[in-house]
Amino acid sequence: MIARAASIDRWRRLFVIVGAILVAYALLAPITSLDAAQSANVPLLADRLWFRIATIIAMFVVMATAWNIIGGITGYAAFGNVAFFGIGAYTTGMLVAKAKWPFLVALPLAPVVAAAFAALVGLPLLRLRGHYFAVASLGVGVAVGELVQNIDYNGQPVFGGASGLFLPIFAIDNRGLFFFYLMVAVAAVAIAVTWRVLRSRFGYGLIAIRENEEAAAVLGVNTTAYKVAAFALAAALTGLAGGIFSQWNVFINQDNAFPIEYNVQMILMALLGGTGTVFGPAAGAVLLQLLIQFLGGSLPISVDIPFVSVDARPIVAQVILGVLLVVVVIFVPRGVIDFFGGSSRLSWSYLRQSLRETSL
Amino acid sequence: MITRHQLTRLIRGFEMRKWALLAVAALAVVACGTSSSSGPTTGSTITLGAPLGLTGSLTKESTLTKQGYDLWLDWINAKGGIVVNNVKHPVTIKYYDDTSNANQSAVLMQKLITEDKANFLLGPYGSAATATDAAIAEQNAIPMVEANGAAQSIFNQGYKYTFGVLSPANKYLQGVIDLALTLTPRPASVAMLSADDNFSLEVANAVVAYATTKGMSVAVFKKYKNGTTNLTAEVQAAKAVNPDIVLNSGHLQEAIAINKAAKEQKLNAKLFAYSVGPSTPDFIAALGKDANFVFDGSQWTPQVKYTPAFYLTVAQYVAAYKAKYPGLGDPDYHVAESTAACLALERAIENAGSLDPKKVRDALAGLDVTVFFGQVKFDARGINIYKPMVVEQIQDGVHHTVYPQDIADAKPMYPTPAWDQR
Repeated sequence: MIARAASIDRWRRLFVIVGAILVAYALLAPITSLDAAQSANVPLLADRLWFRIATIIAMFVVMATAWNIIGGITGYAAFGNVAFFGIGAYTTGMLVAKAKWPFLVALPLAPVVAAAFAALVGLPLLRLRGHYFAVASLGVGVAVGELVQNIDYNGQPVFGGASGLFLPIFAIDNRGLFFFYLMVAVAAVAIAVTWRVLRSRFGYGLIAIRENEEAAAVLGVNTTAYKVAAFALAAALTGLAGGIFSQWNVFINQDNAFPIEYNVQMILMALLGGTGTVFGPAAGAVLLQLLIQFLGGSLPISVDIPFVSVDARPIVAQVILGVLLVVVVIFVPRGVIDFFGGSSRLSWSYLRQSLRETSL
Repeated sequence: MITRHQLTRLIRGFEMRKWALLAVAALAVVACGTSSSSGPTTGSTITLGAPLGLTGSLTKESTLTKQGYDLWLDWINAKGGIVVNNVKHPVTIKYYDDTSNANQSAVLMQKLITEDKANFLLGPYGSAATATDAAIAEQNAIPMVEANGAAQSIFNQGYKYTFGVLSPANKYLQGVIDLALTLTPRPASVAMLSADDNFSLEVANAVVAYATTKGMSVAVFKKYKNGTTNLTAEVQAAKAVNPDIVLNSGHLQEAIAINKAAKEQKLNAKLFAYSVGPSTPDFIAALGKDANFVFDGSQWTPQVKYTPAFYLTVAQYVAAYKAKYPGLGDPDYHVAESTAACLALERAIENAGSLDPKKVRDALAGLDVTVFFGQVKFDARGINIYKPMVVEQIQDGVHHTVYPQDIADAKPMYPTPAWDQR
């Protein structure tokens, strides 16, 4: 027993060291692309393609970590969080494109509007539980996107309609680097918020709601207020990511601000990494987004998948993601973070036990 | 007897011919000389990049776009490549599948620029992907020539590196009004039935405004939900005002529904014209004889008559398409406009005499050339407002190009007979 604990400790230390090195590399490598670094003959470790992919990864770290607050910690399977991403994107987009606000002034309003909306729809929605909440939240996610595209005033689309919204290109040197670090900063904030929540009275209340909502209410937790607050907090972080996305991507429309597949992806990332944990969703987001980009052919490294022609790759990628979801849910219910610094080790007995537990 | 005068003329004729022959021979020698001594040498390969939705919801249109690009690629490489300052550069086009997803299209556009070192970019399919990719092209200062994003909003952003060879959405039905003005009895009133998506509305608003400036009255302007297939009420509203022209800005299924409802309710207009739909074979297949007399606007048809400055004539182009893609019928306008994008880029590179992206951008901005697709010239925003939309009419189950007259292959059949007299 002592030997097992010691070995887990070793694992945990190794994981922290390797993780820290990888994160440091990811954060510092883009600096080599600065003109100053290039003229000093520093080797180029990351180019614009890498920033773009890394910015997308950081964006999903935010979304998965934010989803974890309502889905993982509170136990409410929200399937429509992309609505908050889109609301954040359109809030910043409208203020910058139509009201001509500077981006950095418009950005703080994205989380505010997203959180206010979440509180508004959360009050009725969070009375539903289980499948009912999941389906209702998915409905909200779809409906908001449709509304944004179709609201007209005097025959003119209010939010740009089907042709979308263009933001002026943000005038700053090293634009790619700027948005990468901005998104990473928000990801760090999301992780810090999760860490703080899990160590607060608020967080204990959310966990109590997840484990047994009636019991939590009896113990004096104001369940409605807690749930709505958790929903709004998740919405604020997701909306912030959306706000950055709109200026970074320059063009937003219903398709790219409210993509239905993001709903599934952020949940899958949290599940893969480990729901309810601080770093799990972030780890899941990095792993899964790298896999998605790899299968989509946008990484510079490309390995031929046996028996799969290049044309069929995107379809095969969808199949692989689906199979992965099933495997993760059945065999690794506590996420991969459980093996790194958690209390378990990947072994046949672990997988057998997981299978037994998930079988009905 | 031959008179002296005739003899002189005969001799002079011989002389002339002799001199002409000599001149030709001399030219041939000079030509041979140049080609053997200082002819074009082969230089570096030019890489073009294009993300296309080769899987996903836009597969059909993206495949047509790729066909258009590949047709030109075969032709230019058979010639040895694009000639820049007497050096022939072979061309490759690097394609990626963006799975019809605009966000993925942007990532792949950046990959084409950064990893594949694409010299120039060709557009993706659709206005959304084109809008996203235009911002990438702009930020990387690499010219992108596109053929499949007609939304004007893309070109109202002040971007300097995006060029569209196709006519913008507001021109789609303008040709029908221009045609109507030439007809007798001259139509005076218009009924417009439009889908509520933005592209259709852009088309509808522009043509209604245009008809008004030409002295026509807009009797009714009805919007319906995009994708509606029961348009009885809208057709009834049109019949109530008894218009000379019935216009529809929408999609294939809606155009079919309107035509069916018009027959049922005996809406007897002098002219029926629908923006999108009649140009596809499905329209005739669905309506049979009732499809006759219907007009539509198209970017290009296989019947147009333009005199190309280079590349193929329209007839040669159609033949080349059928040879490369047998069994698919005539090339449609998606294919033609995509080929035209390549031609614009090719000519701009030649004019620039350089592979420098900035110089090629400037050459694109100053381009003015006519090819099989029509005139290719960009306004200050980068969209081709100079090429007219073509008007087609279905006559006895066959598509004919009827306007503009100088490129038409048939006369318009007008007025459309009443439904019970067909």
